[in-house]
Amino acid sequence: MITTNPGDSEPALRVTRLSKTYATRVVDQVDWSLAPGRVHALLGGNGSGKSTLLKMIAGVVAPDHGGLIEVGGVSHASEDYTPVAARAAGLRFVHQDLALVDDMSVADNFALATGYPRSRFGAIDDRDLIRHVTGQLEKRGLTIDARTPVSTLRPTERTLVAIARALDGVDGDTATLVLDEPTASLPVSEVEHLFSSIRALREAGHSIVFVSHRLGEVEEIADDVTILRDGRVVGQGAIADFSEARIVELMAGHAHEQSFRRGTPVADSVTPILEVADLSVGPIRDARLTVRPGEIVGVAGLVGSGRSSLLRGIFGDLPSTGTVTVDGRTVPRGRTRDAVDAGIALVPEDRQRDAAFLDRPVWENLSAVILKRYRRLGQLSSRAERADAPEAMREYTVRAPSPSIPLAALSGGNQQKVIVARWLRARPRVILLDEPTQGVDAVARDEIHVLLRGAVDAGAAAIVVSSDLDELEQLSDRVLVLQGGRITDHLRGDDVHRETITQAMHESGVTP
Amino acid sequence: MTDTTTTTTRPTRHARPPIVWSHVLERYALVILVLALVVLFSVLPASGEIFASPQNFRSLVANQGVPLLIAVAAVFPLAAGYFDFSVGAVAASSSVMTAAALADYDAPLPLAVAMGVLFGTLIGTFLGFLIAYVGINPFISTLGVATLLGGVIFAYTGGLRISAGIPTDLTDIGSRDWFGIPRVVIVAGLVAGIAWWILSRTVFGRRLYSVGSNARATHLLGVDVRRTQLLAFVASGTIAGLGGVLLLARNGGATSDNGMMMLFPALTAVLLSTIVIDIGRPSVPGVIVAILFIAVTVSGLTLVGTPSWVNQVFNGAALLIAVAVARLARRRSTHGAGASSS
Repeated sequence: MITTNPGDSEPALRVTRLSKTYATRVVDQVDWSLAPGRVHALLGGNGSGKSTLLKMIAGVVAPDHGGLIEVGGVSHASEDYTPVAARAAGLRFVHQDLALVDDMSVADNFALATGYPRSRFGAIDDRDLIRHVTGQLEKRGLTIDARTPVSTLRPTERTLVAIARALDGVDGDTATLVLDEPTASLPVSEVEHLFSSIRALREAGHSIVFVSHRLGEVEEIADDVTILRDGRVVGQGAIADFSEARIVELMAGHAHEQSFRRGTPVADSVTPILEVADLSVGPIRDARLTVRPGEIVGVAGLVGSGRSSLLRGIFGDLPSTGTVTVDGRTVPRGRTRDAVDAGIALVPEDRQRDAAFLDRPVWENLSAVILKRYRRLGQLSSRAERADAPEAMREYTVRAPSPSIPLAALSGGNQQKVIVARWLRARPRVILLDEPTQGVDAVARDEIHVLLRGAVDAGAAAIVVSSDLDELEQLSDRVLVLQGGRITDHLRGDDVHRETITQAMHESGVTP
Repeated sequence: MTDTTTTTTRPTRHARPPIVWSHVLERYALVILVLALVVLFSVLPASGEIFASPQNFRSLVANQGVPLLIAVAAVFPLAAGYFDFSVGAVAASSSVMTAAALADYDAPLPLAVAMGVLFGTLIGTFLGFLIAYVGINPFISTLGVATLLGGVIFAYTGGLRISAGIPTDLTDIGSRDWFGIPRVVIVAGLVAGIAWWILSRTVFGRRLYSVGSNARATHLLGVDVRRTQLLAFVASGTIAGLGGVLLLARNGGATSDNGMMMLFPALTAVLLSTIVIDIGRPSVPGVIVAILFIAVTVSGLTLVGTPSWVNQVFNGAALLIAVAVARLARRRSTHGAGASSS
């Protein structure tokens, strides 16, 4: 095995002082290099800037001025870098969803990306295509008929087909291959198969960037590691120098000062508002949990652990089995209306898609849940709705020039406060929030936390799903950890801490 | 990502924002255009004398009663985000249904009218069920039902007109006045008024527009979205059925026409209505303005002596312009004014 140290030889890829600023700086002066012929793990939690960094390297997100990107020995100023330059330098990306068209054959999937070979008369030359793709598959050690529809392939084979396709066309040279969470959708039994392919690529001289949340896998496959947090590189070096505990510590970072937790935990003797028993929904199996008045329960888990499904199951938005009771009364399964009538509120993860009426004015968005209060003798009084809007905007710290402008004109944070306010105005008993401050600026984030704590202090119960561990630590009185659809941990008191949560989330390394 | 809205105002200040005249102009542009056209055609030497006559105005308005109802029918599904191509055919078949009940089966007038209206309700319910519960594409199902109804009309009438046995009580509604106003206009106006009330002054109406704005979000507010969609088509069918009965009253007989020629002016009016007053949403007041716009233009152009193909070109162009303008207005209201995309 080649034992070059990073930095010794010409790197396959090097970025210098690379930054990206949206509303805030999400990638901050990152220096990072990838040694050739090695597997380099890129780690970081939600909001660490990892995806933005990869997108800049792919050339699809324009970096701030002043940085340098060096690929294949050619240096580009950050502002002149393009996807074409990335590709020409041998950079190849395989995204988490693999971008395969299931209904089409393996060969067609290749051709969709790289173009169809043509016969002399301009028609598609199928025979040439099959021959070419078969050759490419063999080269990657795959014994798959190129005419097989992608939908019939096993999960690993799909990943390997996507990799083979990405490497199509770099025959002579070595490539730099970025694999974004390649194992996220793979069963444990198949991960090893993928790893042997990755090792084979490394032996052939290719360089690989490996992104994964599963630290056990990282330890197994990676040679080097880089850890990002808050847009900065906080750790970099050979994987041997980093223990799993050290990686977790670096990813988690230091505690945010402000906390919205209760001073003293709610006693177990207090009658719960929400009781969930044997709830199975999506990947969730037999979930059992209770939330008492005045409590915020956090839910932590990796993508695919069933976090959102748990909330949507309780709310009746997904088909589920089991029982959900609010204040002792059973909520019938399967209709969102029954959940709303029982006093359950859901602030969904995707605000734009699942909650906002963007083309409608702020006042209309604010009264969407409590519309029936404005009905007298069958007639809706939009005058009263409008009249109440300024007061509601004040109460829920929504900043907008006027209640009559469309919701779309507000910043993300203010939009989210409108969505939260819409529910809180109905005084719900149970508040379910899915990533309540995703894509929200820091001020609005604190304001949303204050609003939520206020509602809970007034006697409601809340469940917060978040991949932002700072948020979980700041808000949650208790934390449930989900892994592969099961609640595997229940953290209380001092254990509600980002490091403990990170550890609990990654504990078994892989999902069953 | 420039966000001027958060920095310029504090939540404590909620004074009424100043009136922006360009917005007012935008909202009432079509109204102003209609008035301008009326003035124009009244002063043009070629059309002025006849156009400005009370008789012309009367027939211009009276002729719009049926198109108004058919367009109002289409407002309900469009509010929920669906085009309804069946409204013309439903009106035509309701007209034949009522005429047949009167002429061929000697049914009493109230029963025949009820049958015509209920036939529309039935078709609407069927369509709503197909679209909301079975999940069939609304474009295909409404167009399919329209084509099917056209065929059934022709099969029943054999291409002939049913005009014998239509009682004068009904035809009077189509031709005579109440208080100096054509009865057909009063009836259509009354129905339009009720439709306006339902759409803009009830919880159901608000939910209908919410479904059109974001069906998924409406579902997550605990609203039965499919039921709302179903009811939109029920309302559409019922009003189109009423339109059919009124058509019979106006024409004094039912023809074998399949109703497609009534569909396009209705669609144009509904789409134009989305650029009036409440930009981006179809509405009954908007439809009234749009219907008048089309009627005034067509009447004026005919009197000026433009060849008849101009009308068809005008209708097609108005439809395309309406779609384009509505699309732009909608895009601006959802993405405009420094909106942050995250």
